[in-house]
Amino acid sequence: MKSNNIKTKCSYLVMGLGQFLYGQRIKGLLYMAVLVSYLWYLFTAGISDITGFFTLGTVEGDPWLGTAGDDSIIMMLRGILSFLILIAVVVFYLSNIKDIKNTEKLVEQGKPVPGFYAALLSFVDKKFYVVALFFPVIGVAVFNVLPIIFMILIAFTNYGGDIVPPKLVDWIGFGNFKQILSLSGIKETFVRILGWNIVWAVLATAINYFGGLFLALLLNKKCVKGKTFWRAFPILAYAVPGFITLLGFKFMFSYGGPINFYLKAFGLQAVGFLDIDAGWKARIIGLLVNAWISIPTSMLLATGILSNMNNELYEAASLDGAGRWKQFTKLTLPFVVFSTTPTLITSFVGNFNNFGVFYFLRGGLYLDDYFLASDTDLLINWLYNLSIDNNYYGIGAAVSLIIFIITSVISLTAYVNSSAFKKEDTFR
Amino acid sequence: MKCINKAISLLLITSMCLGLTACGNGSSKAAEAESGDGVITLRILENDTAKAEGYLDELINAFNEAYKDKGIVAVDANMDEYSNLAENGPYGYGPDVLYQANDKLMTYAEDKHILAINKEDFECSQYIPDEAWDAFAISVDGKQYTCAVPVNVQEPMLFYRKDMLPDNWEADWDKDGDSTPDFLQNWSSLYQYSQQIYSSSNGEKYGLVAACNDLYMMAEFMFSYGGYVFGKDGNGVLNSEDIGFGKGASAKGMLGLRQFAGVMNEECIDDSIGQNRYSKVADGTYFCSISTPDTYVLFHDRLADVYKEEGLSEAEASDKATENLGMIELPRTMPADGNLSENGDTVDTVVMGGVNGYGISAYTEHREACIEFVNFATSKEMIKKRAEILGIAPTRSDVAEEIGGVTEMIFGSLNEGHIALMPSIKAVDQIWDPMRTLLSDVAKDAFRENKGEAVKYADEASMQEALDKASQSIYDAIYTLSN
Repeated sequence: MKSNNIKTKCSYLVMGLGQFLYGQRIKGLLYMAVLVSYLWYLFTAGISDITGFFTLGTVEGDPWLGTAGDDSIIMMLRGILSFLILIAVVVFYLSNIKDIKNTEKLVEQGKPVPGFYAALLSFVDKKFYVVALFFPVIGVAVFNVLPIIFMILIAFTNYGGDIVPPKLVDWIGFGNFKQILSLSGIKETFVRILGWNIVWAVLATAINYFGGLFLALLLNKKCVKGKTFWRAFPILAYAVPGFITLLGFKFMFSYGGPINFYLKAFGLQAVGFLDIDAGWKARIIGLLVNAWISIPTSMLLATGILSNMNNELYEAASLDGAGRWKQFTKLTLPFVVFSTTPTLITSFVGNFNNFGVFYFLRGGLYLDDYFLASDTDLLINWLYNLSIDNNYYGIGAAVSLIIFIITSVISLTAYVNSSAFKKEDTFR
Repeated sequence: MKCINKAISLLLITSMCLGLTACGNGSSKAAEAESGDGVITLRILENDTAKAEGYLDELINAFNEAYKDKGIVAVDANMDEYSNLAENGPYGYGPDVLYQANDKLMTYAEDKHILAINKEDFECSQYIPDEAWDAFAISVDGKQYTCAVPVNVQEPMLFYRKDMLPDNWEADWDKDGDSTPDFLQNWSSLYQYSQQIYSSSNGEKYGLVAACNDLYMMAEFMFSYGGYVFGKDGNGVLNSEDIGFGKGASAKGMLGLRQFAGVMNEECIDDSIGQNRYSKVADGTYFCSISTPDTYVLFHDRLADVYKEEGLSEAEASDKATENLGMIELPRTMPADGNLSENGDTVDTVVMGGVNGYGISAYTEHREACIEFVNFATSKEMIKKRAEILGIAPTRSDVAEEIGGVTEMIFGSLNEGHIALMPSIKAVDQIWDPMRTLLSDVAKDAFRENKGEAVKYADEASMQEALDKASQSIYDAIYTLSN
């Protein structure tokens, strides 16, 4: 809708001026205050923040000479903030345009233009969601969106290694991704670790899920005596902090630990469960230790879901001649899977990014044919080796972006194709 | 409904504002550097042992008493979350003075996070040997600078049971007749004695068992044969492109380590030994082990516990543990060909060591006051007190002479070049994991044959290849991804 009204056009030029001219003085002044505040910010800091975002600094600091210099990382953060502020002002501007058009319409229809208080009351009433969410959205933008954008952008810089403040960081485009995918040692390591990571995530999720379901079904059996007592054991395992459990298992499987002690006591040779040659032994131990930590959670979940099962279904199935296995595959499993698909996906992503298991069990090994990694490391462990142990923050951020893309594609695909998504109303 | 909407809006806005206000409070600085009355406050970061043993309190109290008229007060920085100077210093957080190992301090120095100092500003400078000062030297734009004041030297030590010496050691194990058992003086004898203990006890007792995967403890098997961490360029500046673990005859030394691991047990391969060496030496399963001097108290206390279990009183057990626990430097010679079974030509043992010292933050607002503090903390009186309380080996020659014993021995080793100091450059961070992997693999190799597995390091060539691979891995970690 094009307008020929000069007052309306004023608001296109100066935010709030049209409202002011239509007699909505306070509203107009508030819009203009937003504009003036932004212009003040833009000329005092905004322009330099936006410029700084692109240059990431031009003067290198020298603490010995007392030269403060530019801090590339802070400049990047301020740059991101300046873009977020710009987006907020654009949103204000668009609301200003929408508002002035509404006002123009009212004037054309000969209706009175509402005053500030009346407009405010009407806004709070009709756009309550905007009022309620305004500050939370700002909070999310500052404390959530900004760090995520920051981390993503780090993947496109040379931050890390020798390039840490006070040295200046630079944009290098897709340089880090090219390194991951082109440098021979890194590319091969990435492919090897990714392959093992997918196998790990699938196996770990399946073991934990079906292990928990099995325990829940077992403890649901009428013939099991003292259910509360037995249920307490997995919960105890769950209650102990994960890293304590992992350190405990590391000791148990070490050469000086109790397992090797008893092997030797029975005249057998000590076994290197987690040493440099361990390979699949260490991987299987990792899966079992992870099951020890995670099965209690899925057991509790399955126990809760099973308590909602309709027993009449089982009675009907029995009458129709369905055996126990048939009942499990046709009734119990679909019901539990349907209810827990989102949890299953969360569990898959959690296992895909399971940092603790191999960091505590077998951290600090760099094997032949791997670039700064071992054959049990997952992508997240490799990410840690690269970014924390070896300070390659840029490469680390690039790997984390790749992990994010992989996990989100797998999770979304699984969820969209699941019955929990397709047949949402089935069990309602 | 409207009223409810308004109330909820108000509540949400208020809670959000309060949340933001609460977040703002967290950014206040850890400590104010200068109080309103002009008193300068220095934040001192010391190590945990100094705090736990009460030395830091003694130091701070003595300093504050001495400087109460000059308006300078020292406090425990007590800021674990701000102890990383590189991350927090530029933003006004972090300590003013920090006591740390040379590799850590010089990592900061590379990016100028700690100040370059003038040696002459410190009274202790004349008593400290150049080798110790060199640990804190850095070259910037072709000029040499010193960035911290050395306080004490660390090196791996041999902890052994004096009461477990063989009865006939003077006849059988003192061939040079110097009244010191040969197995405390050369590695070949220590290996042969360990072998004897192992076979005579049917594999239930051992001679030396140490963490073979720990580079700091095992570097002598490379350094004594010409190996090194990083080489130096023509100007004497450390060059991290020249990685020297495989240089010289290091492969021979590593074959020696593999041989020695064979008379230890498999606990030497992983971290087990790090946890149980104190109790295993105390209960007599091991005759000796290797650790740093600051762990003396742990060996002593475990041994005292054993004596208490045998029925001695606490004081008697402690005295007996002191009497029976020996701590000396590692044996001074190693076999030139790396073969520990033979007693042929020898080379001098060179161990890896470190120097701890005081650095001054480049971000402190009170440089002169920091210099005053470091001067006070490195005075003869305070270093002597530090040595008495913490058992450190000071770099001050006058204190080392006065204390004598092990302290003087370590000081002498530093002067004589038996201690190769950890390189003081950032790249040293990248050496530990690749070398840990290699050392663990070499130690494991000693046990592969008995288990029917293929031996990986049967000769010098295969060992050399492994050392070269580890060096390449270190190089990759430092350079492959550097932009």
